[in-house]
Amino acid sequence: MAATEPKISIEEKTVVPICSSCNRPITPWERGVAFRCPNCGEVIIWRCSKCRKMSVEYKCPKCGFVGP
Amino acid sequence: MAENAQNSVQEQQQQVIELLAPLELYLSAGVHIGTHICTSYMKKFVYRVRPDGLYILDIRKVDERIRIAAKFLAQFPPDKIVAVSVRQYGWKPVQKFCHYVGCKYITGRMLPGTFTNPMLDTYVEPEVVLVTDPRADNQAIDEAARMGIPVVALADTDNRVENVDLVIPCNNKGRRSLALIYWILARQVLRERGQLAPDQDLPEPPEAFEMKLQRRA
Repeated sequence: MAATEPKISIEEKTVVPICSSCNRPITPWERGVAFRCPNCGEVIIWRCSKCRKMSVEYKCPKCGFVGP
Repeated sequence: MAENAQNSVQEQQQQVIELLAPLELYLSAGVHIGTHICTSYMKKFVYRVRPDGLYILDIRKVDERIRIAAKFLAQFPPDKIVAVSVRQYGWKPVQKFCHYVGCKYITGRMLPGTFTNPMLDTYVEPEVVLVTDPRADNQAIDEAARMGIPVVALADTDNRVENVDLVIPCNNKGRRSLALIYWILARQVLRERGQLAPDQDLPEPPEAFEMKLQRRA
């Protein structure tokens, strides 16, 4: 029975978050941060640890708020 | 010409009304006073540089950021917010802010591991951290960065904004400035939550948030 199950790789099962500043995927072992847009509160913004460390700006795709 | 002048006066009055507190209150508390140093990120909040080299912050941007920070803090449950102040001038404002908003506070020395070590008695798991000075409160910022907690920080012109997710530009060194900023922030958070009417004030004036000076014997 197990042979008939479709083979799905782990990359297909998980949704990798994308950094809002550099548009790169945030790896699971990396301590990124996620929060709702401070201005509109509708979009979830992800920031990777490198962008946080280097204070790279992020922009909300909905309201255009630029932070930090 | 007279109509134009009248219109400009009306526009100025409207702009003054848009601020969360009167412009005179901001100026008298010295919220706009920066330092002689300006970091690259904080340049966008600077209004002008005085001839003596002192950077002056733009009150309008300060006001706008306080509104945004209040909206942001109102998204979280009150007991999941932690306000931190290592510097003495921030103790009373932070305690008063937490009294009204209902959040936790850390004043004075922050024990390392407060956000990271579950074995400690002082361990807390906040969802957002509000810091008074990114340079003095670097322990809180580092631990929040390690745990993936968003950080809101009051930042002066000489502050670096590493690991900070939302900056409130203001004078974070003045006693009266800190009191006014925390008073406005507390009031605006309560308004965003609907616990205060849009035109209602806190029961206490901003002076109640000020750290009292103690005379040495």
